[in-house]
Amino acid sequence: MEHQSDIAIDIKNLSKTYPGRNALSGISFSVKKGSVHGFLGPNGAGKSTTMKILSGLIKESDGEFSLNGKIGFLPEHPPVYPNMSVSDYLEFVFSIYAPEKKNKREAILDVMEKTGLNSVAERLIGNLSKGFQQRVGIAQAIVHSPEIIILDEPTVGLDPVAISDIRSLIRELKKDHTILFSTHQLHDVELLCSDITLINHGKIVVTGALEDILQNLKTRMNIHARVLNFSSEQKSAMLKRFNLESLDYKYDEEKKNYTLDITAAAPESLKKDLSHFLAEDSIGLLEFAEVRLDLEELFKQMVH
Amino acid sequence: MYVKKILILVKKELKDSFLSPLIYILSGLFCFMMGWLFFNYLLQAKTLTSSTMTQAVITPIFGNINFIFVFLCPLITMRSFAEERKQSTLDLLLRSELSEMQIILGKFISNLIMVFFMLSFTFIFPAILAFSGYSDWGVVTSSYLGVLFSVMAYLSVGLFCSSLTDNQIVASLLTFCILLGSMLMVISANATNNYLLALLVQYTTIPFHYEGFVKGVVRSYSMVYFAGFLCFFFLLTLKSLQARKW
Repeated sequence: MEHQSDIAIDIKNLSKTYPGRNALSGISFSVKKGSVHGFLGPNGAGKSTTMKILSGLIKESDGEFSLNGKIGFLPEHPPVYPNMSVSDYLEFVFSIYAPEKKNKREAILDVMEKTGLNSVAERLIGNLSKGFQQRVGIAQAIVHSPEIIILDEPTVGLDPVAISDIRSLIRELKKDHTILFSTHQLHDVELLCSDITLINHGKIVVTGALEDILQNLKTRMNIHARVLNFSSEQKSAMLKRFNLESLDYKYDEEKKNYTLDITAAAPESLKKDLSHFLAEDSIGLLEFAEVRLDLEELFKQMVH
Repeated sequence: MYVKKILILVKKELKDSFLSPLIYILSGLFCFMMGWLFFNYLLQAKTLTSSTMTQAVITPIFGNINFIFVFLCPLITMRSFAEERKQSTLDLLLRSELSEMQIILGKFISNLIMVFFMLSFTFIFPAILAFSGYSDWGVVTSSYLGVLFSVMAYLSVGLFCSSLTDNQIVASLLTFCILLGSMLMVISANATNNYLLALLVQYTTIPFHYEGFVKGVVRSYSMVYFAGFLCFFFLLTLKSLQARKW
């Protein structure tokens, strides 16, 4: 049981409806203080909508959320003025986000140091590379020292070197902030996140500690098989006999045989029993392979 | 603190504007047109023996200043919100400690200062007249006051139109159409035979109130009209910005 003070973001039954479309349908999840929380989902799943609601840019239709601290937000497109220099821009952002604070100069120098912007401090933002513009975007999100940072796809459209730099930056920020970030780079998630939430069609698919989710995947067995004959009666028989979670089969027109995708939470010995069953004359086993279920495979399965 | 927050935005907007060539191009154009008109009115004034300098030069020149700003104000305000929307920086402002009204006022004041900058070049006209013995400073002051109120009204319309779109051209055209439509309403008012209706329609137009100022008459109801006009368009702009959250 987590204490309320350990939670940085708590979302309960959050919904957002646009005319004729439900962008979010009652999602609930929480982000632990000091954690890096990956927010995953395909395009149009509702990630940006959730982040915009949390940052106060749009209003929720229903539900509620609580934030345990100030928020710094980097939208998908960094909100930068191309004809301003990096230092002028950060000074302006600091002034409008923390007008009462006095340590403007130190805060700007500190954030430029953290984000590696010292070398381009006096250059116009419009003349910087996309990677540096993204760094400026992150710098504006943290210049007023928020407790929570929300990053909407911070690595999208960047080259591998810039992605690696942003990844290091997030790792650095992790020390002082709670971070909620959305990405399509599952590699980033495995490297950076302690918790994840997977969303699809405005609904939560899975949420929790990354370790637990990966552990859960390991206890589930995914088998891909190819057989000569298969019918719905055989499917029912298999589901009942082996207590399978799911069994999907379809006829392959090209190869003139059937493909089977089997999921089960079962012991290792089940593989042997299943292969024996499928090897019967009436079915005719051609291929039998276990598919290792990782985050990427889960992502694919959940979104299709 | 309320004013300080507005001034942060005003400072940034002015820096942006004075670093852009637009303000200098518009100022040059404005100075050229006004200078040429002033020169012609002065030449004409020599032949009009029955009219005063106020009737021959001041009244027509201020009539023209007001009309030229109908074209210039949409160009000044077009980028205010449209450009912010296009660059995705409007959300940066809306999420900040600045309220929507502070953002509107910040943009409005910076645009007004730009108009002051352009208008400041016309101070040379009364100065030239002063050398020839002109001394009706009451009319000059009220005329400038009239220009100020009119321009404030134009800018408020421009800000509202700019908040509706991310296309600067669309914003300026829409502002121009509204302002020109407001001017054309005077013609409609003159065309009607119904005296009360004509009076009512006239009251809703900017030129009707502006005329009083140029004649040296500062009417309280004109002040109420301009204050109401500003509040109405500020409110529309506020609603337009708030609508982004829905």
